[in-house]
Amino acid sequence: MLIYILKRLLLSVPLIFGVLTLTFFIIRLAPGDPAAFFIQPGISPNVAEQIREQYGLNDPLPVQYVKWLGNVLQGDFGRSFSRAQQPVFEVIAAALPITVTIAALTLAANFTFGIIIGIISAVRQNTFTDRFLTVTALFFYSMPEFWFALMMIIVFALKLQWFPASGLNEIGAESFGLPGFFIDRVWHLVLPVTVLSINGAAGIARYVRGSMLEVVRQDYIRTARAKGLPEKVVIFRHALRNALLPVITLMGSSLPFIFSGALFIEVIFAFPGMGRVTVEAIFARDYPLIIANTFISGTLIVLGNLVADVLYAVADPRIRL
Amino acid sequence: MKTDRNGIIPVCIFLIAMLLMSACGRGTSGSAGGGAKDSTLVIAMLGDADYLNPVIGSSVTSSNISGLIYPGLLQSEFDTTSGLLNFMSLEKKFRPSTGGRKPEAALAKTWKMAADHKSITYILRSDAFWDDGKPVVSGDFKFTYRLYGNPLIASPRQQYLAELVGADKHSVDFDRAIETPDDTTLVFRFYKPVPEHLALFHTSLTPLPAHLWKNVKPEDFRSSPLNQKPVGAGPYRLHEWTQQQSLVLASNRKSNLPKPGNIAFINWRIVPDYTVRLAQLQTNAVDIVENIKPEDFSSLQKANPGIEIKSVGLRVYDYVGWSNIDQAAYHKSGKILPHPLFGSAGVRRALTMAIDREAIIDGYLKQYGTICNTDISPSLKWAYNRSIVPHAFDQAAAAAILRKEGWLPGPDGILQKEGRKFSFVLYTNAGNARRNYASVIIQQNLKAIGIDCRLDVQESNVFFENLQNRRLDAWMAGWSIGLEIDPLDVWGSDLKKSTFNFTGYRNPRIDELCELAKEQLVQTDAKPYWLEYQEIIHRDQPVTFLYWIRETQGFSGRIEGEEINISGTFYNIDDWTLRPSSTIAP
Repeated sequence: MLIYILKRLLLSVPLIFGVLTLTFFIIRLAPGDPAAFFIQPGISPNVAEQIREQYGLNDPLPVQYVKWLGNVLQGDFGRSFSRAQQPVFEVIAAALPITVTIAALTLAANFTFGIIIGIISAVRQNTFTDRFLTVTALFFYSMPEFWFALMMIIVFALKLQWFPASGLNEIGAESFGLPGFFIDRVWHLVLPVTVLSINGAAGIARYVRGSMLEVVRQDYIRTARAKGLPEKVVIFRHALRNALLPVITLMGSSLPFIFSGALFIEVIFAFPGMGRVTVEAIFARDYPLIIANTFISGTLIVLGNLVADVLYAVADPRIRL
Repeated sequence: MKTDRNGIIPVCIFLIAMLLMSACGRGTSGSAGGGAKDSTLVIAMLGDADYLNPVIGSSVTSSNISGLIYPGLLQSEFDTTSGLLNFMSLEKKFRPSTGGRKPEAALAKTWKMAADHKSITYILRSDAFWDDGKPVVSGDFKFTYRLYGNPLIASPRQQYLAELVGADKHSVDFDRAIETPDDTTLVFRFYKPVPEHLALFHTSLTPLPAHLWKNVKPEDFRSSPLNQKPVGAGPYRLHEWTQQQSLVLASNRKSNLPKPGNIAFINWRIVPDYTVRLAQLQTNAVDIVENIKPEDFSSLQKANPGIEIKSVGLRVYDYVGWSNIDQAAYHKSGKILPHPLFGSAGVRRALTMAIDREAIIDGYLKQYGTICNTDISPSLKWAYNRSIVPHAFDQAAAAAILRKEGWLPGPDGILQKEGRKFSFVLYTNAGNARRNYASVIIQQNLKAIGIDCRLDVQESNVFFENLQNRRLDAWMAGWSIGLEIDPLDVWGSDLKKSTFNFTGYRNPRIDELCELAKEQLVQTDAKPYWLEYQEIIHRDQPVTFLYWIRETQGFSGRIEGEEINISGTFYNIDDWTLRPSSTIAP
């Protein structure tokens, strides 16, 4: 297994590198100019030219690529164009923990609620509870996240005023003390995490239900029931474990979805996380920041998939890596 | 397994209870802990400041904030009765003041323009100090002007140096252009006679403290950590800056330029989403939200009657651009030929008459919009031509003009001339509700007279790049005008030099009028030229001018003393006060 992991890690290096190279050329070929902001009446036309010179955008594309490659191999992804020349990794270091917090909470909520709902639906197949849960899950599953987020803000932040509409903390939260600060943070995270996880949980519930129903029909479940085991033991010990196998792969593959969901959520809820950094970098044509973001999210996704594969082997002894 | 399953429910209940408790707890502390809130003004903004450095800061937010931190050589104010800019030093005013700005904020005691208009001498006050205790001296200005002019630093304000000695030979000779005989005397020299108002405008760029910045290399200027810790002398100083979240200014107790700000803290909070900014204003989480859309006024004020909508203008207008020249031929051979559809002024006038501009205003902007005739704003009263009658909405007259120009209805009802259909795509940039609204009305209006106009929305970067490269035949966009009239960039006949002349409009008389107006040593002497300019632009309709927009800002009722002005929403923010929360109805 160790060798397998090492092999996969080694293979992921050229993969990520290929992604970065593609990104490098695609963003430069896309229309738009990082210095476009400085092209306006009242600003000397020299400014945009000087800015481009500073950013090294006047060199031919292959020269830019070689220079960039040299820097990246030394671990230098450059400085952001749009964020006051901050080194891009400083920008990301500030943004990543926020997104990882949201993603971790979402992932946990996704699977907890998804699995619970899925089991109930499967066990109570074709009853009112099942249909109700199925319809509700589909309802949320088909809802666009950004719209759902705005609706949640209107209901819970505007009308009921239970939760705040934006930001990570209240103004002056530093003075609340550590527990107060923490509670304030959690209070701010409720709406965004709910929005992100309801959608995912609904999808997972569908998977769990399907896979549970399949497992429940197996011979060994009948055997377990015939042995006279209590229903709870049959469901949780015998059926659930097997039914969860396909769900584990979901864990790895849902990472990219959570990351892309975070794009909307962070812009809407004004969280200074990776999603917002990426969106703003794209609109500002901030090349170094776009590439560094691609690097981080690409790496996380490759690692996520690797973890899923490894977990698969851990959960099912029949699978050998 | 039993415990597992039953364990989840208590955990959930506990979590929900904790969250509810925290929600209630916050509710009470929000009202009881009014102390912190009463001393902090919260302004919601779309994006963060870039550099808190007047040399390189380029966003409006940065200028607003830098303006409170750094001292200015002069104070400028916009005279709403004449539309002229006024400049004030401690002891001298360019024009009689109309109130608002305080001369105590100026670093200059007085100034003297040379009789030949080729130099201006400032006498600085000796009682102005940077926050670190060092005096503000004339050398700070000379040092900072070198930075403004350094191509490695690429300051967006380098055109302010365009009249200094040497600028006509492509590089300012700073040793001759700026002299500092002593710490309180500052002399600027120009290579040509410069009108006094322009000299005042262009020599009053904000200084940096030279003693702190002198060791920063130009190539490191943008990345210097000093940009994060600005040392100024104005009514506010930087208290805390959490990038992409919030920027807090604290009243600068030491300031005498003009005085410490009244409100103890100003928090500029970044909220990128418009709906969320509105929600926050409605729940009193923030005090000011800029650029509220007219369609949201009624629901906003119904939900929170304490909110006041204030409007300023008129600086922004929308227009429909018609390519005057055949862009394809121009790109191919550099030849300038009239555009097959929009090349004639008569056709462009007909298009303007066919568009119901009043309907767009009534339907969207309401009282916050006015018909636009040319790009000289009605707010610039001294130069505005009141005798121009707007082209009225008259589709019959428009159709008659088009017929005279040879455009006749074809078998499908669409106008044709020499086998060419009057059919085109009107481009606009994504994410602008107002322009979307207007473009649909324009499409319907044009259809009524037999013109086929299709709509296309492009991502902003793509749209502006296409516009700059003159790749669009028809588009809808807007301009925000400066308070000094300088339209040559937009209409100049030299298409290579006038990079913002997207339409390719060319009229030698317009070039002449702009030059003549600029040469006048007394600003108001240029009035006759501007009047004629407006008549020509109105007649030629290089674009269809749609409407001027009053920018609308939402203010919390607890703010007092605010005076918003065409030169900015935060014009006199250091004089504002906050009413304690106990006196506001919830």
